[in-house]
Amino acid sequence: MTRLTPSRSRRLAGLALAMAASTAHAQSSQPPTVEELARRLQAIEQRLGTVPTDASTDAATASDLDQRLRVIERKLELQAEEATAKAASTPTVTLSAAKGLSVKSPPADDVEVKFRGLVQGDGRFFSGDEQNPQNDTFLLRRVEPTIEGSWGTLVGFRLTAQFAGDSATINDAYVDLKFDPRATLRIGKTKVPVGLERLQSSSSLAMVELGLPGELAPGRDIGVQLQGEFAGSTVNYAVGAYNGAADGRDGVTVNPDEDFEIAARVFVEPWRNAGNAFSGLGFGIAGSSGDKHGSGNNFLPRYRTPGQVTFFNYRNAVVADGEHSRWSPQAYYYRNAFGLLAEYISSEQEVLLPDSGARDALDHRAWQLAAGWVLTGEDASYKGVVKPNQPFTLGSAGWGALELVARYGKLDIDDDAFPRFADPAAVATEASSWGLGLNWYLTGNFKLVANYTQTQFEGGAAAGADREDEKAFFTRAQFSF
Amino acid sequence: MKTSAILLGLTLLVAGNAVAKDVELLNVSYDPTRELYAEVNEKFAAQWKQQTGETLKIRASHGGSGKQARSVIDGLEADVVTLALAADIDAIASNGKLLPADWQTRLPHNSAPYTSTIVFLVRKGNPKQIRDWDDLVKPGVDVITPNPKTSGGARWNYLAAWAWASVHYREGGKVVDFLTRLFKNVPVLDTGARGSTTTFVERGIGDVLIAWENEALLAQAEPSSRGKFEIVVPSLSIKAEPPVAWVDKNVAKHGTRKQAEAYLRFLYSPEGQRLAAKHFYRPAEPDKVPAAELARFPQVKQVTIDNAFGGWKKAQAEHFADGGFFDKIYQPK
Repeated sequence: MTRLTPSRSRRLAGLALAMAASTAHAQSSQPPTVEELARRLQAIEQRLGTVPTDASTDAATASDLDQRLRVIERKLELQAEEATAKAASTPTVTLSAAKGLSVKSPPADDVEVKFRGLVQGDGRFFSGDEQNPQNDTFLLRRVEPTIEGSWGTLVGFRLTAQFAGDSATINDAYVDLKFDPRATLRIGKTKVPVGLERLQSSSSLAMVELGLPGELAPGRDIGVQLQGEFAGSTVNYAVGAYNGAADGRDGVTVNPDEDFEIAARVFVEPWRNAGNAFSGLGFGIAGSSGDKHGSGNNFLPRYRTPGQVTFFNYRNAVVADGEHSRWSPQAYYYRNAFGLLAEYISSEQEVLLPDSGARDALDHRAWQLAAGWVLTGEDASYKGVVKPNQPFTLGSAGWGALELVARYGKLDIDDDAFPRFADPAAVATEASSWGLGLNWYLTGNFKLVANYTQTQFEGGAAAGADREDEKAFFTRAQFSF
Repeated sequence: MKTSAILLGLTLLVAGNAVAKDVELLNVSYDPTRELYAEVNEKFAAQWKQQTGETLKIRASHGGSGKQARSVIDGLEADVVTLALAADIDAIASNGKLLPADWQTRLPHNSAPYTSTIVFLVRKGNPKQIRDWDDLVKPGVDVITPNPKTSGGARWNYLAAWAWASVHYREGGKVVDFLTRLFKNVPVLDTGARGSTTTFVERGIGDVLIAWENEALLAQAEPSSRGKFEIVVPSLSIKAEPPVAWVDKNVAKHGTRKQAEAYLRFLYSPEGQRLAAKHFYRPAEPDKVPAAELARFPQVKQVTIDNAFGGWKKAQAEHFADGGFFDKIYQPK
């Protein structure tokens, strides 16, 4: 029997301890002999495929075992190095409920592609619509797959298609050149930075449809936009040049009048990082300016109620002919379960009746106040309730998050529009709308919405009468990731 | 028009922040040249700054020569490659089409500014009495050498052993048998020469390390291992010529052709040759180096890749390509 020297026996003792746990017969109170250790070491070598050609259990010395143990240690070290190197050069794929599917390159390439989706299915019902009947309907409001990500540190991108409706369209398609957090150049089709609620993600809206100010703000448009944030993200800005969109609508694919529109927005959250009662307070101002020359829907607005029924449009002969400017002070405040969103917007457009030569600059205005309270205690935010504390689970205590929302708003048409530019017997001079809603966030990805909105009008009917009230009950099931 | 002007101004303002960058060179090299190029890079960047006023940032990547060549072929944008053997740069030329096939004629001495040879590093006192190649196949002798599939140094080791066996046995079957027995004595096959040095010197595994002469001299000179090892010069070895080249497509893309060529020509300058000798490489132009700095290099009887194996292309195809002699000699367990 070979005796072990103290230094070598320490190394072998470690191995022996590791092997003892899996070796049923190693329960003896006697220390193992070199031969026993050699046999057990050989068993491990066989499992690792590292048996030396001259391995012997009978004639092994402590020095031999020490070398063989070192070889195992080194091979494990090399395997770990190889695994690390492989991990560093292998893309990673992650799939999570919160962030969807993403594919990330090895760090050296710094490429990430994310796949997201949004589906909204609505049930829309009207009551008391005898004079102006509306369709009760089921509707796919949004079906939006999104691919977004970054291509190196400089380039970001987003592509969102819209499959709801009769034909597929592109919602967002832009490339970001991220020079610095303070200066990112966005090129392509994106939301024009004017309306506060319009800039909110479609999946985060408090109610099924936008309030009345959203009808005066531009939608998405094609252009070039510089954006960024300063001072620990407490100040963010966007300024850009676009083809020019009509109020409440997306811009068309080409610039129809060769006139461009400039838009800018500054939004401040001074106490964002302070962790106090005002952390959720943000306010800002936005505006746009540009000439528009032309007639029809690409130039002049058609204002809709929250029930998506048009209540104002110009006479057919009217053309946009000159400056179109908007400005919009806006603010929100979120504190724990409470949320408040307020915005005002003015949209002034020079219009012309070519036959008579009548010309005017008509200034339409709208505002709204929307408040929400998350009954189940989660934090309210501009992004909605991000994640319920207790997601809905069949047969357990989790019911998700419930949010109660209320909104009031008004849209006032410039009195000078009537009667030359708009027909007072067909379109209203003012719309006031209130609404109540309940949002049930079953999980962070699935939401059910029920809204009741009622809109009153001034004018809009024959003989100076008011158009009948619109009473709309909208429901929505939304899945997003 | 006024909107376009504003837009152009904004774009220029932002783009202005992105220009004015230092020039960068990436040198993709093999394992044991870390210390050499750390000093070469520093000296050349200083000289370049003095000569041109341009700040040059030189980055170096090291690993097994074959793996490094594969990385360049796969897209690692090396401006220059300084690899262990011409076959690896040939692969970049033929598989990656990143430089012309005649790249080796562009710089003196077949584009090899320094050479080395293959020696044995043994533990102090040479306990296994290793004197020559045939001692490496004796039972109980553990030999450390890296994997010829991934390491250029390993291919030189293998070919040196083959050259000795060819002279000694003069029969193909016996030569293959000798190499087979030699690799049976290898307990750990690292991917690169530096990894094998770590295995032998730091992890204490094996009785003999087949090594680049420069790597063996470096291991001897390291303060932590000084006096613990001895160098054994075998009766026959091989002249290892690690070549260098600029990678035409990458330097054209980066606009660094001028800097890359100057960087490699610096290796042939008196200062470059002295740095090679300082880091234990044999200068290709020894007359540029004081004789005292060459004294550490013993006389070694050497074959060359051309006269013993018909050049790298032939040696690569016969020995290291899939299905070549090495695949017959060594099967991973």
